[in-house]
Amino acid sequence: MLAEFEIGTRKVWATFLRDARLMMSYRVAFFLGWFAIVASVVGLWFVSKLVPESAVFGNGRMATYFNYAVVNVAFVTLQSTALLCFENSIRNEQVYGTFEAVLATPTSVSLVVLAASAWAFTFALIQVALYLSVAMLLGLDLHHVNLASLAIFLILSITATVPIGIIGAAVVVRFKQTAPTQSIFGRASTVLAGVLFPVSLLPFWLQGVSWMLPLTHALAGIRGAFDGLSLQALSSDAIWLSAATLVLLPCSLYAFRAAVVRAKADGTLGQY
Amino acid sequence: MEPDFLEVIGLTKTFPVALGFVPWLRNRGRVQRRTALEGISFGVRRGELFGLLGPNGAGKSTILRIVAGLVVADRGSVRVGGADVRSGAPDVRRRVGLCCTDDRSFYYRLSARRNLEYFGAMVGLYGANLRERIDEVVRLVDLSEDLDRRFDEFSSGMKQRLGIARGLLRDPELLIFDEPTRAVDPAHAAGIRAFLRDELVARRGKTVLLATNTLEEAWELCGRIAVLRRGRVVAVAPPSELDARAIGPVRYEITVDRTDDELLARTRAVTGLLGLEVRNAAEGVLLHVLLNADPRALTELLRAVSANGVCVSAIRPQERRPAEIFADLISEGFDAGRV
Repeated sequence: MLAEFEIGTRKVWATFLRDARLMMSYRVAFFLGWFAIVASVVGLWFVSKLVPESAVFGNGRMATYFNYAVVNVAFVTLQSTALLCFENSIRNEQVYGTFEAVLATPTSVSLVVLAASAWAFTFALIQVALYLSVAMLLGLDLHHVNLASLAIFLILSITATVPIGIIGAAVVVRFKQTAPTQSIFGRASTVLAGVLFPVSLLPFWLQGVSWMLPLTHALAGIRGAFDGLSLQALSSDAIWLSAATLVLLPCSLYAFRAAVVRAKADGTLGQY
Repeated sequence: MEPDFLEVIGLTKTFPVALGFVPWLRNRGRVQRRTALEGISFGVRRGELFGLLGPNGAGKSTILRIVAGLVVADRGSVRVGGADVRSGAPDVRRRVGLCCTDDRSFYYRLSARRNLEYFGAMVGLYGANLRERIDEVVRLVDLSEDLDRRFDEFSSGMKQRLGIARGLLRDPELLIFDEPTRAVDPAHAAGIRAFLRDELVARRGKTVLLATNTLEEAWELCGRIAVLRRGRVVAVAPPSELDARAIGPVRYEITVDRTDDELLARTRAVTGLLGLEVRNAAEGVLLHVLLNADPRALTELLRAVSANGVCVSAIRPQERRPAEIFADLISEGFDAGRV
């Protein structure tokens, strides 16, 4: 059992190194990505100058527009990664022609798909760190962060969104195309989950839709953690995200496995 | 008697036919299927080099992919060392090395070393063990000097050799090769063949399942060959026996002391004569004839040739070329029921 776990960990590490090397082999895109983050934070800072200081965004120390927006925008990166990294990874494997070669190894389908996210999330966290570092230079105050709450909400925000990404990967295996649902879901979340403005500004019925999105609870929890709130104070969002994870993750892994079984039956595993 | 290491029993596989949108609508959304394999059965003994030979679309690659666990059969089973490929998938995959020589199966922007490190980890190797294994397998396929070059800089032949190296990483008991010498230059093709026969099978005792379109390769390497036609096995036999099973035209060289127009006319009139060539030689006149498989054709021919006092001094049946035997075995006239 322990040996299996060790081998599984080494497979994840090998996948992590593979993806990191592949990404860094595209040097220009790699470095332009960093520049885009700096430009995005600086842009938000200028926009925040247009917002009157009397305007209040949420509670506590995160209530200024710059603090509110920059933390949200930084952590939306994690949602985008969770939504897209799996389907992108599978799509790349199909186009490279490596998908069959990987599945011909004694590696479980679940491990293949989950390992594909290791580098993507690490990279997303580095991007978040850069967002926050640049924002600190422009006035973001991080002295009151509750690290325990932040860590829990980081994990929960990833685990609650990952299943939707895995379902996207299942669609790619089955239909050989990325599903528009991922980008629709991502964009809708950005508008409805209160990334650039508070959810309370939405009409009442849209607030109900917003409540059903993982990103709404993830960002509420993360902003709360930045404001120094304990996990107990943020328990309703934490429970929502935990329940979503428990329900959706097994379903998504089942859907992915079913898509692979169907592709094996149709002989389309290597097609793209 | 030891049971076969690889047992393929009654494999049947159909694939959905991809239809355009309008035909799909006309078909009311029903999926049409085409048969790729129908009741395929054969066994491969431990340490045997077994060939799958057939024209394009005969089902060779489908069989290999079912054995490798990449395609699931509709009916029938595949057992490797007694374990069913479907139910014992991870265990079976540990015992099987797919030497996939499709050049679209590596990461183009990584070096050969990085590719092998990744696939090595995926088959459970790591650390010094993995590094040693990589060095060993690239030495075997003559790629040691190119290990740190990017895969997209490799020639077609080098890519194929790297595919073989990847399949060998875990040192599996059963190795599957799909046209391993396609696009490889003659020198390296000869090297790969020698490697399969002498190193893998003779020295290391591996079991090899080889799909090939190259007849000479199958004849040279394989202990036994399964000849496939349209998803069915039409013959399973050693190359030497396939000749006897084929029913196609037979060549003879007949030596006579003289010939004339009348003799040639009589010969050309023989029922079953498919070809005639006349050559002068030191020992007389050589008639190279091609007859159909009906044994009465030879009797009639000899009667025609030996009339009018012509002396027949020798009749030599000519060994058939692999291509002739293969063409006969995959022809519609061949009766698979005789196998």
